[in-house]
Amino acid sequence: MSRLRGDLIERALGGPVLWGGLACLTAFALGPFLWVFLTSLKTRAELYATPLRYLPASLTVANYIDAWTSPLTPFSRFFANSLWVSSVTMVATTAIAVLAGYALARFRFGGRDVLLLVFLATQMFPAVLLIAPLLSQWHALGLIDTYQALIYSNFSFTVPFTVWMLVGYFDSIPRELEESALIDGCGRFGALCRVVLPLAAPGVAATAIFAFVTSWSELLFAITFTSQTEMRTLSAGLLFMVGQYEIQWGQLSAGVMISTVPVAVLFTYLQRHLIRGLSAGALKG
Amino acid sequence: MREATVAVPLARPLLSRRARQRLSGYVYLAPVVVVLGGTIVFPILKAMHMSLYNHVLIRPQEYRFIGLGNYARLLRDETFWLTLWNSLVWVFGSVCVQFLGGFAAALLLHQSFRGRGFVRTVTLLPWIVPGVVVALVWEWLYQPNYGVINDLLFRLGWLKERVAWLSDPALAMPAVIAANVWRGVPFFAIMLLAGLQAIPDEQYEAARVDGASVTQRFVHITLPMLRPIIIVATATRVIWTFNYADLIFVMTSGGPANATQITSTYTLLMAYSNLDFGYAATLSVVLLVIMLVFTVLYLRITRGIESVT
Repeated sequence: MSRLRGDLIERALGGPVLWGGLACLTAFALGPFLWVFLTSLKTRAELYATPLRYLPASLTVANYIDAWTSPLTPFSRFFANSLWVSSVTMVATTAIAVLAGYALARFRFGGRDVLLLVFLATQMFPAVLLIAPLLSQWHALGLIDTYQALIYSNFSFTVPFTVWMLVGYFDSIPRELEESALIDGCGRFGALCRVVLPLAAPGVAATAIFAFVTSWSELLFAITFTSQTEMRTLSAGLLFMVGQYEIQWGQLSAGVMISTVPVAVLFTYLQRHLIRGLSAGALKG
Repeated sequence: MREATVAVPLARPLLSRRARQRLSGYVYLAPVVVVLGGTIVFPILKAMHMSLYNHVLIRPQEYRFIGLGNYARLLRDETFWLTLWNSLVWVFGSVCVQFLGGFAAALLLHQSFRGRGFVRTVTLLPWIVPGVVVALVWEWLYQPNYGVINDLLFRLGWLKERVAWLSDPALAMPAVIAANVWRGVPFFAIMLLAGLQAIPDEQYEAARVDGASVTQRFVHITLPMLRPIIIVATATRVIWTFNYADLIFVMTSGGPANATQITSTYTLLMAYSNLDFGYAATLSVVLLVIMLVFTVLYLRITRGIESVT
């Protein structure tokens, strides 16, 4: 009898409960985005209509064009800034972290364990903690309103995470492969470039993209270390737009979509690798 | 025909092999040491130094050494104590609901059904979009006159008049926590899903053969097997949420009347809006100490788990 009841519960869990739950989950995750997307396609009159109109009667891309070309909040410029800052951060972070990760995974030297701990601990460091000292540091070096200030500051969160992840990837590659390359006359660096990197390529690519995505999302450094409109990144530009006289929700929604789509696309590629990395170590974000 | 080769003894290197290896290790680490020294270590030392000065950027004539004056001010600052309490509410509220929602989501996403890949990707979206985007999306949803939340509640008849979610002192904190929950559920979902995937199917099969019900299987297999990952994920999330300033900073700037002011946004406001670098640095040092305590606890916990599994 209780067996029968158990079967019933299991069938309910596999059927209606599962589908109902999935529907709720999808609506919960996607609903707010959908609403902003609809907003970005509405005309001004429809946006502020009472009672609220959920679906736009006529689709318009005017908000996107306005946001992209507006002289006050030029999203084309913000986009280019974000792209440049995030790309340079990604490339430099990867170069630095590959060297460090390889050394930590392969060489034995004093202070190795302490360094590993430091990399884990700094991942927990909040950006707010660094705002005041970094601002006065960049100010003293004359780096306010430069890309360098943003790129250097981004290292503070991209580098520790990337090193930590790469040590794990390099550790999982058997040493024998390199040793035969070393015997064949490759130097350490040659072995790293020709043997280890090709094998670790998927992992390195995933961490590089993660560095790009986190730099793309960065807000606090971007608003503190830049003051001119043409130096703002997308995140800073969005916030700047809110600060203007009256919030233009149509344009703002278009800006939100412009900042979201690139990371969403990159992330679908990342997802598989991230789940593996996540279970292996801590993660910021 | 082969050429004959003659063995020539190699010149003895200047340094022993071990010493060279050790040295090259440091060469590989040099860039990372320079970068983190310049962006983390030096700034933190600088913050400690700055915290001993009266240093307000817009009043340079008052710049002078005041010893522990900023720390005395901190102890007397009622807003600071309020922000600590608010941080507690913010962290506890956010992490609890995120965990429950994320756990439910992970259990759903672990089942096999058509279109699973798509649903998984979609569910994770709120977690990867920029923080400022999350804040603005929710600000628009909460908007009193044209926001969809008020409108839906109105149509359902649950609201008699429009609510200003973010400017009501009693509602602002729950409102920002709800936005943070939306952002954090995917994090727990992805972590716990990874944990669920690591549990061997045989265990469930064996329990099923022995006649264990769904609830029994959940309590005696799923929960104990997930314990390590639950602890790691929760600890990470607690630390991260405590530090997270973007969302509140954009949505309310800590208002109304400091109702949503947490310690990290307070620090940010002191540096960014008040340009009071001395006091901001003092708050940073205090945050750092709290962080270190958290991190040491976290490392203890994770170490313990590693030695068990």
